[in-house]
Amino acid sequence: MNHYQLLIKADDKQVVLERILQVARYRGFLIEGIKARVNTGTNIGTIELMVRSERPISLLVDQINKLIDIKDVKVDKNTTQ
Amino acid sequence: MYSVGWVKKKMTSEKKQTGGSLLFDVLQQHGVEHVFGYPGGAIMPIYDALTDSDIQHFLCRHEQGAAFSAVGYARAAGKVGVCFATSGPGATNLITGLADALADSIPIVAITGQVATSVMGSDAFQEIDIFGLSLACTKHSFQVTDINDLEKVLHQAFAIALEGRQGPVLVDIPKDIQIAHVVSQGSVVSTLKNKVNLPPANVGSAIAMLCHAKQPILYVGGGVGMANAVDELRDFIDITHIPSVSTLKGLGAISPDNENYLGMLGMHGTKAANLAVQESDLLVVVGARFDDRVTGKLTEFAPNAKVIHFDIDTAEINKRRAADSAILGDLKTNLPALAIPLEIKGWQQKCQQMKADFAWDYNHPGSTIFAPAVLKELSDKMPLNSCVTTDVGQHQMWAAQHMSFDHPSNFLTSAGMGTMGFGLPAAIGAQVSRPTDCIITVSGDGSIMMNVQELSTIKRFQLPVKIVLIDNAKLGMVRQWQDLFFEGRLSETDLSDNPDFVMLANAFDIKAKQISSKAEVSGAIEEMLAHNGPYLLQVKIDAADNVWPLVPPNTANDKMMEST
Repeated sequence: MNHYQLLIKADDKQVVLERILQVARYRGFLIEGIKARVNTGTNIGTIELMVRSERPISLLVDQINKLIDIKDVKVDKNTTQ
Repeated sequence: MYSVGWVKKKMTSEKKQTGGSLLFDVLQQHGVEHVFGYPGGAIMPIYDALTDSDIQHFLCRHEQGAAFSAVGYARAAGKVGVCFATSGPGATNLITGLADALADSIPIVAITGQVATSVMGSDAFQEIDIFGLSLACTKHSFQVTDINDLEKVLHQAFAIALEGRQGPVLVDIPKDIQIAHVVSQGSVVSTLKNKVNLPPANVGSAIAMLCHAKQPILYVGGGVGMANAVDELRDFIDITHIPSVSTLKGLGAISPDNENYLGMLGMHGTKAANLAVQESDLLVVVGARFDDRVTGKLTEFAPNAKVIHFDIDTAEINKRRAADSAILGDLKTNLPALAIPLEIKGWQQKCQQMKADFAWDYNHPGSTIFAPAVLKELSDKMPLNSCVTTDVGQHQMWAAQHMSFDHPSNFLTSAGMGTMGFGLPAAIGAQVSRPTDCIITVSGDGSIMMNVQELSTIKRFQLPVKIVLIDNAKLGMVRQWQDLFFEGRLSETDLSDNPDFVMLANAFDIKAKQISSKAEVSGAIEEMLAHNGPYLLQVKIDAADNVWPLVPPNTANDKMMEST
């Protein structure tokens, strides 16, 4: 089982967090932790998502990137095992 | 095919109007002429505004029918399909249609009424969280809680439905937003940002792979039609003379008359197509996604082939099969870059020989009707530019195998989702969008009952849809699998208590006829096609007939079954 941490920037829009969680679950990634906050000045949300899966993380990154409100997705290589 | 130059005029009016009225103005700005829907309590202000609109509404008899009609409309005409439903059960009834549109990348915009914002979240009458339910079955969705957002959201919905890999978008509008007053901002320009920066196409390495390949195969999917790249694909084929195969949704993209075209690949693909793919040393994949019904056992699919993968969707690259070269972006732009003459005469001849050796055999003993022969004859006799829809099951595979289509917009089938009940309402949408073309739906006795209420829509609007009902009084495909893979233990697949379909059609003022012997086939097809209005032709076949070839589940495509 591989553990990953994703750093996601998203527009602060309705249900954006639900969309990310739904995609992660559907694509076969178990959620181990999540931190989310919004910069009220820029209306940009920053989400740190800890997941584990047998599947390659690129699968999840590509699918989250397709969500309309997502601005950027990065894999934190320091925390990926 | 799908136009993105949709903005026809800029709103300059300063008058206040209701949210419902504004909705129709925006729809008209996007060129919408027809919508499919069903009214109810929480969408009544929109239906009230409809009476003052020039947009024509087609009342379906179930919201699922409305969604599939919108899908059929979009696919047949290359426009965005639009459907309406009320809150609660109306909205949930749309979901299968939205899921179907998502699986097949069809641009539709679904408008749902919602209970007023003041009571949202209180388990109000006919309240359901359709916004939450939409997450898994739409490309994107909105819930409008401020009247000042409505106009921008509606424009965004159309832009998102059409941008990149197309798909369904849902806009949920609470009742108080529908009746609130607002001044149009005239915000006709999409604010969508091109978020995904596609890397430059890696054309050089792809050309090198293509030049070195001895046995290349072109594997074409539904993305070609969606990208309006049929001409570019055919130019590519004309220059390369590459042997080609098609997915179910790709049918029509390659000219059926092309000598190097081997037909559909996959579970019910032609023997020639599957063998050629398995022997190939290079797959040029265009707008396709290595679906499990195409690949069979994935680890044994085209085991010696390198892959050049053209697609608009980054997430499809390396999802199920690693690409040696990925060419991301618009097929119309990218396909010509690889169109070079190839020295593969020996391979072409081998593929052509396989095509001849494994051609369909329509010899069928006895007097009972052979569905493949019926569909072949129907295909040969239907007028040019006919559009065929299907339901899902044995008849669908027979239609895919034995009918010929000269454009993807002329064959509408539920490919990714495999939704029974698709064919009849999709044909209604296709007929509305192409009123002068012959629209034929090929259905089965199981599938047609899934949305049989739409016969009433055909009657109401006098749509001349032709219905060919392949009737084996069974859920035929499930029965076939029970026979082959479950030791013949038949479970819940007998439909011998079906209604009298001729009488049923007549009840909706639809002319109908039943045939059960080979001698009746030609005359019945000609009579149906010559009839001015809607017509149902019930074709009784042997309940034991199977679809061949068949690649068993989790099996390589060259290990197909050809008979029991």
